[in-house]
Amino acid sequence: MTDCEVAAKPPAEVKVAPKSREGIINPMYDCQPAGAQYAGIGVTDCIPLVHGGQGCSMFVRLLFAQHFKENFDIASTSLHEESAVFGGAKRIEDGVMVLAKRYPNLRVIPIITTCSTEVIGDDIEGTINLCNRALKKEFPEREIFLAPVHTPSFKGSQVTGYSECVKSLVKTIAKKGEPTGKLNLFPGWINPGDVTLLKRYLKEMGVDATLFMDTENFDSPMLPDKSIEIQGRTTVEELRDSANASATVALARYEGASAGEYLKKEFDVPFHLLSTPYGIHNTDEMLRTISELTGKEIPESLVRERGIALDALADLAHMFFANKKVAIYGHPDLVIGLAEFCLEVELEPALLLLGDDQSSKYKKDPRIKALKDKVNFDMEVVLNADLWELERRITSGELKVDLIMGHSKGRYISIYNNIPMVRVGFPTFDRAGLYRKPTLGYQGAMELGEAIANALFAHMEYNKDKEWILNTW
Amino acid sequence: MPMVLLNCDKDIPEREKHIYLKAPDEDTREFLPLSNAPTIPGTLSERGCAFCGAKLVIGGVLKDTIQMIHGPIGCAYDTWHTKRYPTDNGHFNMKYVWSTDMKENHIVFGGEKRLEKSIHEAFDEMPEIKRMIVYTTCPTALIGDDVKAVAKRVMAERPDVDIFTVECPGFSGVSQSKGHHVLNIGWINEKVGTLDAEITSPYTMNFIGDFNIQGDTQLLQTYWDRLGIQVISHFTGNGTYDDLRRMHQAQLNVVNCARSSGYIANELKKQYGIPRLDIDSWGFNYMAEGIRKICAFFGIEERGEQLIAEEYAKWKPQLDWYKERLKGTKMAIWTGGPRLWHWTKSVEDDLGVEVVAMSSKFGHEEDFEKVIARGREGTYYIDDGNELEFFEIIDLVKPDVIFTGPRVGELVKKLHIPYVNGHGYHNGPYMGFEGFVNLARDMYNAVHNPLKGLAGIDIRQPRSGAASNGKKEAA
Amino acid sequence: MATEQLQGKVEQLYDYVQERCLWQFFSRSWDRQENIDGVLNKAADMLVGREPKRETPTDKLHCADAKVMVMDFRERFPWIAQVSAQEVDELMEGLKGRLVDISITKSKNRELHDHLY
Repeated sequence: MTDCEVAAKPPAEVKVAPKSREGIINPMYDCQPAGAQYAGIGVTDCIPLVHGGQGCSMFVRLLFAQHFKENFDIASTSLHEESAVFGGAKRIEDGVMVLAKRYPNLRVIPIITTCSTEVIGDDIEGTINLCNRALKKEFPEREIFLAPVHTPSFKGSQVTGYSECVKSLVKTIAKKGEPTGKLNLFPGWINPGDVTLLKRYLKEMGVDATLFMDTENFDSPMLPDKSIEIQGRTTVEELRDSANASATVALARYEGASAGEYLKKEFDVPFHLLSTPYGIHNTDEMLRTISELTGKEIPESLVRERGIALDALADLAHMFFANKKVAIYGHPDLVIGLAEFCLEVELEPALLLLGDDQSSKYKKDPRIKALKDKVNFDMEVVLNADLWELERRITSGELKVDLIMGHSKGRYISIYNNIPMVRVGFPTFDRAGLYRKPTLGYQGAMELGEAIANALFAHMEYNKDKEWILNTW
Repeated sequence: MPMVLLNCDKDIPEREKHIYLKAPDEDTREFLPLSNAPTIPGTLSERGCAFCGAKLVIGGVLKDTIQMIHGPIGCAYDTWHTKRYPTDNGHFNMKYVWSTDMKENHIVFGGEKRLEKSIHEAFDEMPEIKRMIVYTTCPTALIGDDVKAVAKRVMAERPDVDIFTVECPGFSGVSQSKGHHVLNIGWINEKVGTLDAEITSPYTMNFIGDFNIQGDTQLLQTYWDRLGIQVISHFTGNGTYDDLRRMHQAQLNVVNCARSSGYIANELKKQYGIPRLDIDSWGFNYMAEGIRKICAFFGIEERGEQLIAEEYAKWKPQLDWYKERLKGTKMAIWTGGPRLWHWTKSVEDDLGVEVVAMSSKFGHEEDFEKVIARGREGTYYIDDGNELEFFEIIDLVKPDVIFTGPRVGELVKKLHIPYVNGHGYHNGPYMGFEGFVNLARDMYNAVHNPLKGLAGIDIRQPRSGAASNGKKEAA
Repeated sequence: MATEQLQGKVEQLYDYVQERCLWQFFSRSWDRQENIDGVLNKAADMLVGREPKRETPTDKLHCADAKVMVMDFRERFPWIAQVSAQEVDELMEGLKGRLVDISITKSKNRELHDHLY
């Protein structure tokens, strides 16, 4: 909607409400154990052990393989019928010992519960004590951390599950020691491409920081010696020293920030929660905060990178993006961050979908409040949403959008309704190599902007819709 | 010593009962891998759960049926977008998944109301759809929700809908196999015989146990059409709910996947006297044999011979071209179960390929009887193989190509071994005559991929005289 | 036919059946027995030029399986054309014995005798 049209109409309406249906048609998120598994594989020499039916880990491994085109090691206690009746704690003990014996380098095993084992009520903490004794006896020279991760699937979603596992790993391993002078950085559930970008920024600033979790190796090579490097790069030592950092910076309110809060409470590590650095302004804030916390200056190279991003986005924003309506779905930190970015480049995020049962938290999110104050077009935020909320609005004609931004699970809405779509978030299995592309920071903003432009351009061409504009662009 | 204890299994010696190495002049009766047995926790087994065996493998194939999953969101999310079974009505089955999205209060107070509400919502949102399968999952089974009673109530309220319930939570059985069983037996007992078909041919059959992977069912259907045979129902490729209620009217049950669907064929024989004919739909020679048997059953042999002749004329030259170039290729098959015995001899006879190792996720001992009877000597036969075993077996047999799932495929890629998707195929269909040429082509393209040669080069080393030319090299 | 010679021939046919025929590996012992008897009886008829009975659906099924098998026997084992009617019966009985032995009597398949499918 143009500002001219806006001036002539009643004030913009912003509606924030949960969907009216109880059931779900086409979910946006997987369940808690899936997110916990994702956090677990971010640690070096770590194999998560999922305490539940075999499907709870098998399909999650497949999901990660679909997204990253890599295999990740995740084990299952393979809950069978008799465990459902008599309890499955023994299978945790068996699983831990089998893993420890067959994987001599193993140092961490997050024990991730599921709906079934939470309903059965297996005593995870008690079993871990038993396992610790058995491990000590069998391997006196090894130290293997067993982290209890309570992630019943009937609470939260993959988002809360991720947070829960990060927090449990920190709780289990972090230990007071000498101050390291390093920064803890909890970036949230991001792609290797974004991890690489954040690490580059920190390096260019000369800041010594640790990422929880460092998933850069989730983009792993085929090497002449056939070695397999697919593991997280966050080590036990780094987790231990998270208690001794100079400060914690969390970039995702719902993905790992709770671990930072724990470190503040338990070890007095100052905690800073920032907006996820999607777009220029959020990135500015991140860099400035890190600069203030560390005393390191923001280098010329990042000023230039910022300038290049602005230069590229300026070519796109008011010519192609202005007044175009966008629907965005995915993880809450991502959706809100992308909406903020959209406003910077004159796109209109008209529909935001946030899933799961954490509506009360989202309602209080200051970023949503800020968005409400900012927009001059009608915007709807659907809480506890599923993808049918988007599809139904589009097929019924209730909502016209020019662009969809979200992960691959919503691909058919785009395909069958002829709406251009930019894949972003997790999972993006229907496009090649997206896990390698940054979406955070200045470079990420620029590349995301260009991906949006190219999606719109391709759409103009396939539909022969003013594609000639591009002749002289 | 034909049962093998691998080095990686020294701490789980019970694995010896699951791995067989076929030796020459041996009485194979003495040895049969123990299978369909509980999984050892922590082994990184490849198995899925019983729920997925019912929903993802069989029920979710149907093109006109809502798959309502009564449980937390993950069970729905995870069994969506992981299969390649198109339909001729726009892939309704792959586009949607439904969940009651159980939350803690439903666990505490029961989830039946939530289920009932979700069922009504689903029918209201998609008014053109009138059929539904409801699945329980681990937590809804544990709390004991009576899903049958809910389904009954909804059907009473909505006379135009029909609902089938499947109660096999993920923890039941030891693998997806249990889910196949529960769905098969439930369906025959509750739904078969509740509708009649319009009979349009003197020759009628059910085609059981093919799931239209990349169009398998649709390709084979062209054969049945040409032969003038009416297929009453496909269990369940490109199939409809109501067709499956008419299975009792067929004169013959033709079974491809005996593991996932043999139960219903057995019951149709027991309850309705319909004979069961098992065939292999993958492979030239096998497909021709299957068609010959079906036609012999109906007494329409000439039609069969004509079809086989036409197909051979069209596809055999291409198959032979690939055979010439694939001869001696060493192949491993790590899939669910039946494809081991469907493929081991067909790739050998039709393509000259040697299958050197096979692992089954959910096969039963019956499957191992079949595959050991058909497979080569010197080949490993593994039940429920796990990751470390795969590495060790690869070292032992050095396969040129592995037919397995995409995740394991990504793993073996790092070892410079190409994979072909043995579940969803690379570029199928793979069934039938044309399909087997597709399989041969995909295998050929995999083993001749030039990247494989490049991957082994360390650029820090001096150039070697024999640069890779992209042709298949000795392993 | 000398016992030794018969044994050798049975063994050739047995190797063929093991490798080719799914009907010997049906789910339960009684299905296997029915198939082994049914198919081999029809095959015996066909090998001696008797018209096999095709009255019941099961007859028709066994005939279909037997027909393909006999066709292959004739192609792979040319000696079978020379075998007398009595020897065919001996061969088929021998083959039945071998198949029952491996796929039923000595089968280690733990599901073979479950009374339910």
